[in-house]
Amino acid sequence: MATMENARGKSGGLGHMLYDERVRNVLYQLITFCTVGFLAYYLFTNTAHNIEARGMSSGFGFITQTAGFDTDFKLIEYTAGQGTYGRIYIVGMLNTLFVSVLAIVFTTIIGFFFGILRLSNNWIVSKLAAGYVEVLRNTPLLMQIIYWYLGVFALLPRPKQSAELIGGSLLNNRGLYMPSPIYGDLFWLTAIAIVAAIVAVVMIRRWAHKRQDLTGQIFPVFWVGLAVLIALPGVVFLITGSPLSWEYPELKGFNYQGGVRLPPAFLAMLVALSIYHSCYIAEMVRAGIQAVHKGQTEASHSLGVRPGRTLQLVIIPQAMRAIVPPMISTWMNVVKNSSLAVAIGYPDIVSVFMQTSLNQSGYAIEIVGMTMLFYMVVSLSISACMNIYNKRVQLKER
Amino acid sequence: MTAAMEAAAAGREQIDSSASTDVMIQMNGVNKWFGEFHVLKDINLTVHAKERIVICGPSGSGKSTLIRCLNRLEEHQEGDIIIDGVTLDSNLKNIDQVRSEVGMVFQSFNLFPHLSVLQNCTLAPIWVRKMPKSEAEEVAMEYLERVRIPEQAAKFPGQLSGGQQQRVAIARALCMSPRVMLFDEPTSALDPEMISEVLDTMVELASTGMTMLCVTHEMGFAKRVADRVIFMDGGEIIEQNTPHEFFDNPQSDRTKLFLSQIIGHG
Amino acid sequence: MSTVDTAKLGGGAPDRPPPIATVGVIGWLRTNLFGSVVDSILTIVSMVIIYYAFSALLDWAVFNAIWEAENRRECLNINKETGTSGACWAGVIIWFNAIIYGRYPYEEQWRINFAFIVLVLWLAPMWMPRVKEKLVYGLSAVVFYPFLGAALFAGGERGLFLQIMMSAAIVFFVYNCVNALVGLLSGNDLPDTLREKLGIQGKSDKAQRNILLAIAAVAFAVVFALTFTWTVPNVTWTKWGGLFLTLVISGIGITAALPGGIVLALGRRSQLPVIRVISVTFIEVFRSVPLITILFMATTMFPLFLPEGFTLNKLLQVIVAVCLFNACYMAEVVRAGLQAIPKGQYEAADAMGLGYWKMMGLVIMPQALKYMIPNIVGNFIGLLKDTTLVSIIGLFDVLNIIQSAISRDVPWRGLHKEPLFVGALIFFIICFAMSKYSQHLERKLSTDHR
Repeated sequence: MATMENARGKSGGLGHMLYDERVRNVLYQLITFCTVGFLAYYLFTNTAHNIEARGMSSGFGFITQTAGFDTDFKLIEYTAGQGTYGRIYIVGMLNTLFVSVLAIVFTTIIGFFFGILRLSNNWIVSKLAAGYVEVLRNTPLLMQIIYWYLGVFALLPRPKQSAELIGGSLLNNRGLYMPSPIYGDLFWLTAIAIVAAIVAVVMIRRWAHKRQDLTGQIFPVFWVGLAVLIALPGVVFLITGSPLSWEYPELKGFNYQGGVRLPPAFLAMLVALSIYHSCYIAEMVRAGIQAVHKGQTEASHSLGVRPGRTLQLVIIPQAMRAIVPPMISTWMNVVKNSSLAVAIGYPDIVSVFMQTSLNQSGYAIEIVGMTMLFYMVVSLSISACMNIYNKRVQLKER
Repeated sequence: MTAAMEAAAAGREQIDSSASTDVMIQMNGVNKWFGEFHVLKDINLTVHAKERIVICGPSGSGKSTLIRCLNRLEEHQEGDIIIDGVTLDSNLKNIDQVRSEVGMVFQSFNLFPHLSVLQNCTLAPIWVRKMPKSEAEEVAMEYLERVRIPEQAAKFPGQLSGGQQQRVAIARALCMSPRVMLFDEPTSALDPEMISEVLDTMVELASTGMTMLCVTHEMGFAKRVADRVIFMDGGEIIEQNTPHEFFDNPQSDRTKLFLSQIIGHG
Repeated sequence: MSTVDTAKLGGGAPDRPPPIATVGVIGWLRTNLFGSVVDSILTIVSMVIIYYAFSALLDWAVFNAIWEAENRRECLNINKETGTSGACWAGVIIWFNAIIYGRYPYEEQWRINFAFIVLVLWLAPMWMPRVKEKLVYGLSAVVFYPFLGAALFAGGERGLFLQIMMSAAIVFFVYNCVNALVGLLSGNDLPDTLREKLGIQGKSDKAQRNILLAIAAVAFAVVFALTFTWTVPNVTWTKWGGLFLTLVISGIGITAALPGGIVLALGRRSQLPVIRVISVTFIEVFRSVPLITILFMATTMFPLFLPEGFTLNKLLQVIVAVCLFNACYMAEVVRAGLQAIPKGQYEAADAMGLGYWKMMGLVIMPQALKYMIPNIVGNFIGLLKDTTLVSIIGLFDVLNIIQSAISRDVPWRGLHKEPLFVGALIFFIICFAMSKYSQHLERKLSTDHR
């Protein structure tokens, strides 16, 4: 705001006070505060009155009440008639996070793939990738979710005629069945070997960098690291007698029992979310890489640095600065859009808490508040991560 | 006229300007098209080692394109380009070899903004010549001192002025010990007060016997330092001569018109 | 340097055409499709994939499709007989009217079509080059058209307020059309032409203005009187549906969100802590939660917020929720637009002593709007797609009609793919066209500023 000169002239007076900028500022804030406050008070009293008049209950005591319904899919122990609403809240949260995190992983991979295709010199490939992006972008996500659910996963064969996949997994209209692992006595050794392999790769990387600094020789860290990650746990596993067996899903009656089951609603959500958001990430990848000035590539090539190294040392570090912040926003959108699960019956937090629990218990305000609180916490955490990333990679300028 | 230029002009007779009969760059019948546009027409050019050449001409005459063909930033469709005995074609090995012997300085500096000044200079030596880091840093500091900004080594390009950035760019190219240095309008993007510091650096470089091809509008620089001035227009070489002959006795009408327009701004 | 025109001197080597293999169709093919071995393989593989995908799609959607049938069973039988799999468009065709208009009575649908044509005519002059003062068209549409629309869509009894606003809307619409015509024909605008025709140019400015206003007032009174007794049958909001409902919700959402977004964005940039905190909190809360939670909140909590006896129907609840939600996203668009204005503009306005509101209204906002338009169009595309969420809470938008009505209608039970395909196509056409337009605008605006 401009610093205007204080009105001077004749002594004091209320009229002149009104022209004083400081007085005005305080006045504006006071008016806003009072208006908002009055509005809030008005809504509050109405609500309280209405709740009483309708005989609804309020307060957070319902969290310890038992919920009388069951959910199709849960990651933690919960039994209808024994679990509380509080537990349902957690079940819903975990379901939301489960599908969101998996979708984020897949959508990032698919997005980068199509983003790079989009930059290809081959005209057909580039246009195909562009078509992929345009079709997904201009169709509502909810329609895509419903299409995958009704048009694909519900049309799968019945359990008796399941499609058999590798490793003993099956696909049918009740979901994806996968064998669940049964860990033998000595499996913990393999687990330690995995951790040890990761530590080893980190140390190899450090050693390779030091060696390059000293002697200039370049070490193939990637391939060696990959080999170690596979070989070390692999060898330990075999030596300890392969202590891993599987519980395979078995057909008992009309359905399969045993193993791990991912319901069709979950699969539809996962596929739809991954594919839909990948088109946005593809565009971000394309824009980020194209944002790097062509002169950077030219300067690097003119120094004799090969295209592959140029990508690694010059282009990608700069492109990442443009790609990562909007990509993190897209990840947040994945979490928010997972709430559309309520349309196809996947028991995420909106479906299981905001819809079912609310209808059954009637604690509208508390439940809405708790659900929105969950999303706000997730959103704030992701924003914080983004801010940390931005601070770390900020280009230093005058 | 800067002090360095005067010193160079005075001392030029002592520098062995045409010592080499070694041919560094040979261009025979080079033609290039951008789509339908014929941008380089039958270019024939011979550059000996240690020669300092200034290329001038109106914009759109193909001068930048010519030198960008020399390190394969642009591809020519017809003709031969041979640099230090290596024929420049689509063979990747040849391209790599040429690029390690030819250094380039750009109009817009093109420093890597995410790396420090020192890292900019050591990147190519470490990853192309596979030098150990300490050795690369020593070499880099040497050249940073040559261009007179060793104290900025830890700074980032965004923190430097235009003149400083361009001098870092020169040092960065020199760290690969090139045999030829190409300059593509190195001072055109600089504020006037910073042009002289860059020109001084280039003059000092010339005095060490580096083969230089310089596209520039700085005619004062050409007069004092160049062995040969080449005038290009419409994609062809119209005239080339020693600076003295070129400025005092232009042969072609086009050269005369061009000179009449720019002398007085130099 | 470019002032040296040596070309005028003539002479010099002539241009030669480039080698055949590098230009024209062959050159393009070589670089873009067959540049290297890997490239060529990719090209061939892609073309094979495209061929198979397209021929399968065409077979299903066109060549083997069934355009007339009584029910789904008939479609399936036909497919069995011919041994192919063809799309059962018959069901979609029968339901197509509902997909567009919802359950709006067939005899009254002319009102929707009429209102749509009025809107197109109202806004069309904004794209005509010779017409002056384009902003008036847009602004008058935003302020007055909703009332005309409400009167036409809902029908029934009109209160005094609605009658006044509707008459004003009609007057503005007629004014706009005549203004545009006059502008196209003569290059002047209507007030100037009227001044000429009435011969009042000699009088003082104030007198001229009063005469024109008097004419406007008379026109308004005439319209008011004429339409006072004109009514159309009432169509309750429960019958509104289909693409019509989608456009109503998103249309109101985008027009109400813009002023709201401007207010919030200015509040967010304010130096006054109370205003800034309130704005930031509001924006961040609404932006961090999914739209479906806002819609659920609206349908469960809005009835509680209102005093007894005062009810909002579900459609209004949803519209309010959508407007609040979108205002926060619009606030971010406005903020980006304001940030694009160089600080020097603010300083120049301050130096002239304009004061905050004049500075914003006369200097900053007009410039910022230009930067914001492509993003506003993007926002509208997003809003259009988001309106499909109202199907979850029971409003009969396009998706709801497609999904439930068709597949729950007994003859067409189980028909999913074909209606979804058509619905997706409708959205795709609208959204794709708008996004191409927005890209065109962006290009035009960025080259304008050289």
